[in-house]
Amino acid sequence: MELKNIITVNDLHFSYPKHSVLNGIVFNLNRGEVVSLLGPNGCGKSTLIRLILKLIQPHQGEIWLENKTLHRYSHREIAKHIAYIPQYNNVPFNYSVLEMVMMGRVAKHGFFAAPSVKDAEVAHESLRRIGIDDLASRPFGHLSGGQKQMVLLARALTQEVNTFIMDEPVSGLDYGNQIRLLELISDLANQGYTFLKTTHYPDHALMVSSRVVVMNEGRIIANGLPEEVITSSMIREVYGIEADLITHNTRTWCIPSSTKGIR
Amino acid sequence: MLGGAENDTYTLLDNIILQIRLPRVLLAILIGASLAVSGAAFQAMFVNPLVSPGILGVLAGASFGAALGMLLSEQWYVVQALAFLFGFVAVGVAVLIGGMVSNSRSTIMLVLGGVISGSLFTALLSVIKYVADPYSTLPAIVYWLMGSLTMGDLHGVLLVSIPMILSILGMIALSKYFDLLSLGDEEAKALGVNVPLIRFLAILLATLASSLSVVMAGMIGWVGLIIPHIIRMAVGPSHRLLIPLSAIVGAIFLLLADTISRLALSVEIPIGILTSLIGIPVFIIVLKNARAAWN
Repeated sequence: MELKNIITVNDLHFSYPKHSVLNGIVFNLNRGEVVSLLGPNGCGKSTLIRLILKLIQPHQGEIWLENKTLHRYSHREIAKHIAYIPQYNNVPFNYSVLEMVMMGRVAKHGFFAAPSVKDAEVAHESLRRIGIDDLASRPFGHLSGGQKQMVLLARALTQEVNTFIMDEPVSGLDYGNQIRLLELISDLANQGYTFLKTTHYPDHALMVSSRVVVMNEGRIIANGLPEEVITSSMIREVYGIEADLITHNTRTWCIPSSTKGIR
Repeated sequence: MLGGAENDTYTLLDNIILQIRLPRVLLAILIGASLAVSGAAFQAMFVNPLVSPGILGVLAGASFGAALGMLLSEQWYVVQALAFLFGFVAVGVAVLIGGMVSNSRSTIMLVLGGVISGSLFTALLSVIKYVADPYSTLPAIVYWLMGSLTMGDLHGVLLVSIPMILSILGMIALSKYFDLLSLGDEEAKALGVNVPLIRFLAILLATLASSLSVVMAGMIGWVGLIIPHIIRMAVGPSHRLLIPLSAIVGAIFLLLADTISRLALSVEIPIGILTSLIGIPVFIIVLKNARAAWN
């Protein structure tokens, strides 16, 4: 039977030599959830994600992935449970989209095994599911930011896992691509995938989340349903600006109440 | 009488082909393949297409070791043993410095360690040159540093061919991981790669292959930098093609360069000088084309 809890974080502390980043984080991610991590720059969102992926080690506290603590997993085993979609960055080597997507299969192979025909099939299928199969032979470096993000999502699908972690998935994308990517995330969530994503935008958290976790100065200060957590007072406390929350057609939007502007 | 003369001719031919030409051809193939593959592996590991096999100081260290050997001993095997040893010592120093200045084990710190280690052993090489006998040892060191494929005998070449071929095959076996390493350490780890292990193996194999190439033929530059570039332009960056093709084309390149070095002028041009003279214009052309590909 599948466990309900995918990730459990207990009293997690992390600090750099000069300043502490996380101070006692308690957090869990359950199967089927779409959790948005919201918070200002430097609040520790990305650090928490890197800790969950075992890219850095906590100084105190523990992280459980399903029924084992994280330090009992190798990176290869983690990659069989969680797919990470980083913010796209440019690589000096211009791989084709298909080559890029097939790299998601590496954890499935034996140490010396070469990618097989099946891996290529899975890669094509993943590209089809994201709707970008036509890009397969294009050089990754020549794509637009939105297309690159879609390719990384397709690569995550080839890992054949149920949990996706995304770091600022819409950063650097134009408005249309931001919305298209959010729609893609909600489509995948409806197919049963679990998501943990960081975001800078309260609106995006309101649009695509089953739960919102707000972080500030290395602590979790709110955790719950999007409409309950994202309030004017939370925005004031965390971002230091005034904002109104407006409900229109059953959806809630966050609108800054600043009257300044140029007309 | 006549039979004896024929026998002498055959013996002479046998000597020329087996003892002089064959080891030289084999060396060119082995060293060309080793340097090109090591260069391609390091370019992936350091996520930088401008990296060459000497980035961690192996060539500087091995050169120092060889010069030290020439200073201390007349025996050729001492020179070779010290060249091999100090190739590894220099890389060890680079890795230690890289780990000392930062515990994050980032490749930037490793490059920094390599720069420091390379400079250190280049300086130590200068010390050896300064104290060496200017009439016998110094010219030997200087000539040796220009690179030459004439020093190997068949027995020695066959002996080093085993570890060299094994390192090349090892790097070919790791080639799928080089694709992932070139995305950066964190992304490679998140996709399930044991980055420290792959990086350790790559450094070990490339250092083994490169230091043996210095042991057998002195300094031969540019092969490790330009050959992977040319292959990447022709077939793309995927290391599953790039690494084995670098081995083949590197071998052919050095074999051709050696043939030119023997035949172009009435005196033989040292192979290290020739690869630089060919390598620099080729590299300028490659850079001009590569700029478009990177952007």
